[in-house]
Amino acid sequence: MEKFGRDEWVAQAEARRKARGALGRVTAPWERLPPWARFALFVVLAAAVPQLIHNDYVIRVGGNFLLYGALALGLNVVVGYAGLLDLGYVAFYGMGGYTYALLSSPQFGIHWPTWASILFVVVLSLGLGLLLGSPSLRLVGDYLAIVTLGFGQIFVQLATSFDRLQVPWSDQPLNLTGGPNGVVNIDPIRLFDFAFKTVAHNYYLLLATLALIVIGLHHLNQSRVGRAWRAMREDPLAAEAMGMPTKRLKLLAFALGAAIAGLFGALFGAWQGNVFPSNFGVTLLILLYAMVILGGLGSLAGVLIGAFSLSVVPEMLREVELSRYLFYLGGLLVLVTRLRPWRHLAAALVGTIGGGYLLKLGVTNFWPTLVTAPQPSVSPLGRMVQNWLIIPPNATLIGNLVFVFVVLLLLFVARAQNALARVVALIPTLYLLAFVWETRLALEPSITRLLLLGVLLIVLMVYRPQGILGQRRVEIV
Amino acid sequence: MDLFLAQLPQQLVNGLTLGAVYALIALGYSMVYGILQLLNFAHGDVYMVGAFIGFGVMTALLPQTGPLLPAWLIILVMMVTAMAGCGVLGIGIEWFAYRPLRNAPRLAALISALGVSFFIQNAVQLTLGAKFRAYRTDALIPATIGWDVGTARLSAVRLLAMVVAVLLMVALTYLVRRTRLGRAMRAVALDREAAAMTGVDADRVIVATFFIGSALAGAAGVLTGIVFTRIWHFMGFTAGLKGFTAAVVGGIGSIPGAMLGGFLLGLTEAFATGYISSTYKDVIAFIVLVIVLLVRPGGILGAIQPQKV
Repeated sequence: MEKFGRDEWVAQAEARRKARGALGRVTAPWERLPPWARFALFVVLAAAVPQLIHNDYVIRVGGNFLLYGALALGLNVVVGYAGLLDLGYVAFYGMGGYTYALLSSPQFGIHWPTWASILFVVVLSLGLGLLLGSPSLRLVGDYLAIVTLGFGQIFVQLATSFDRLQVPWSDQPLNLTGGPNGVVNIDPIRLFDFAFKTVAHNYYLLLATLALIVIGLHHLNQSRVGRAWRAMREDPLAAEAMGMPTKRLKLLAFALGAAIAGLFGALFGAWQGNVFPSNFGVTLLILLYAMVILGGLGSLAGVLIGAFSLSVVPEMLREVELSRYLFYLGGLLVLVTRLRPWRHLAAALVGTIGGGYLLKLGVTNFWPTLVTAPQPSVSPLGRMVQNWLIIPPNATLIGNLVFVFVVLLLLFVARAQNALARVVALIPTLYLLAFVWETRLALEPSITRLLLLGVLLIVLMVYRPQGILGQRRVEIV
Repeated sequence: MDLFLAQLPQQLVNGLTLGAVYALIALGYSMVYGILQLLNFAHGDVYMVGAFIGFGVMTALLPQTGPLLPAWLIILVMMVTAMAGCGVLGIGIEWFAYRPLRNAPRLAALISALGVSFFIQNAVQLTLGAKFRAYRTDALIPATIGWDVGTARLSAVRLLAMVVAVLLMVALTYLVRRTRLGRAMRAVALDREAAAMTGVDADRVIVATFFIGSALAGAAGVLTGIVFTRIWHFMGFTAGLKGFTAAVVGGIGSIPGAMLGGFLLGLTEAFATGYISSTYKDVIAFIVLVIVLLVRPGGILGAIQPQKV
């Protein structure tokens, strides 16, 4: 089905690019599995997690992954399939959360049955998607982005300020959204007299909904509509010329994405028991975009992988020792894969660590005031790093200055044409990078997470715009 | 109605000041968009960096003991440093985040721009902290200096901001209309390949565009600091959104359009604040954007180019 109507050479691009050698032998059995079997494996594994690990925190992180995964899948419909840059996506998510919250919380004393509020939320999101989509689609390209971004901002602003809403029928201002304090005590989801109260219950609920969505989207992608979307994304003009109703297709994608976002907004509200305006800000939007793009636009498995790596891995950054391992091993991995030939790699590593040793030895002997005593570190890696890294007493200020400097150095290394210059510049860069990590970045995990996210987006776009599992466009010119 | 008229001059003053800032930001957006068809999301953050550079210079030259230089010179140094710093930052962003993507799909460059914006914001938060800072404008130009024009109060600070902004816009217009570089910029905006064939160094023009646009954003940042005093690391996002809205309303890619859009947006917001509520000013600005785009999809002064295949 996939290969129908494609040029022979283009159709075989997949096979040509398959991993060969040792990697190929490992991945081949996986590749041979039909998609449904792979997905079933994923669901079984995910379902096993709460049974094996009875830790609410872990299950919560897992639930977050499922939630983000589902949201990213919805965004993928709009951006990955239809190629529309919707920057107001999170607003639909928030709208779903707030609508559910108002229909099932003490805020107005309304407690609709779950099925009714969920249905209402989904229909409302669909409608809003159509409403926002219809004028926006008259706009060309980036205009859509700005209108939707504005819409997203306005949603957050209204949610923040609608706690003192002047209404014509009453003198008292109406408290609609609770303002910055949000809506609290939201009812849990209740289906067939079963209330999804605990973290694990909600985890399974999210998993089941996600599974349904994945199956639905998989089939949709294979359908007439899915093919039309892809055609439209690749070349809107050609698609229109072939008689595809591009306006309607775009609206459909827009509304479908909005409905998925709204549905999971409701599930989110029910799970957390409260919604705040800050849950639906730009940070989440960028995170979702990063997930969709990291995994590969248009690929369902890729989007889930992207959601996994950007929701679970950052959790690990919270723990200093774990984040230290992640940082140094990740850095090493990047060096090993990017730096060729291996002589350069060896030179850079020896230069950094060896030079660091000598530097520390010299400084300790001549200006001992510049070096603080080595901190007791629990992990061997921490002790190893302290052997060659100088941590001065007022590290915060110096760390900030070095941060700016190291960014410049990194940019130079990234763009250096001369291999020798690159290796020579790499030595101080690596040293200072480790310095900044130890003095600043490891201490500010929440900022570091977002910084790395920004870097990831840029690097990914520059080196691998199609993402991990995305298909590179094969073109015959 | 009387109340409306009584407030009108003051709202005009407020709107024009705000509009001057928006117009400066919008110019950078519009110029870059005109040449690269790239929505430079990081532009708002360049503006924020400009405000912080101005703040740094002010702190250095204006210790608590008293100013080291005459007030006008301090403001000049702040403006020049911020403009130069932001210009260089803009060139850097272009070089590292956009140039490798020159021939990539539009979406890739846009995502990269989002990444840059995110990076700058968080880098500033990491190094300078997440707290609000306040420009000490009062120590330079006391708020008592000003003129009463009818019912309105035109303070010296606001007048200065408007004059500086207008001067910068006049200079930019001269540059684009009358100089060699301006002619090259217009040529590249019209058709990059054709311009390159006739001997225009397109890359240099793009670098110059980024420098000028970012320098204008830096100037806008300093002016914001001087007039509204409060700055923080997240100010760039909203301002960038407003700047882009202004550019789109005026017709993106058109320089007079960006100025017109900026002032229009500033006035809309000032009137919305004055007559309705400051809570809904952004909502009203957004509604204006949607209405303008529905009536004229290319903006007020812009025209939609028919697509040729």
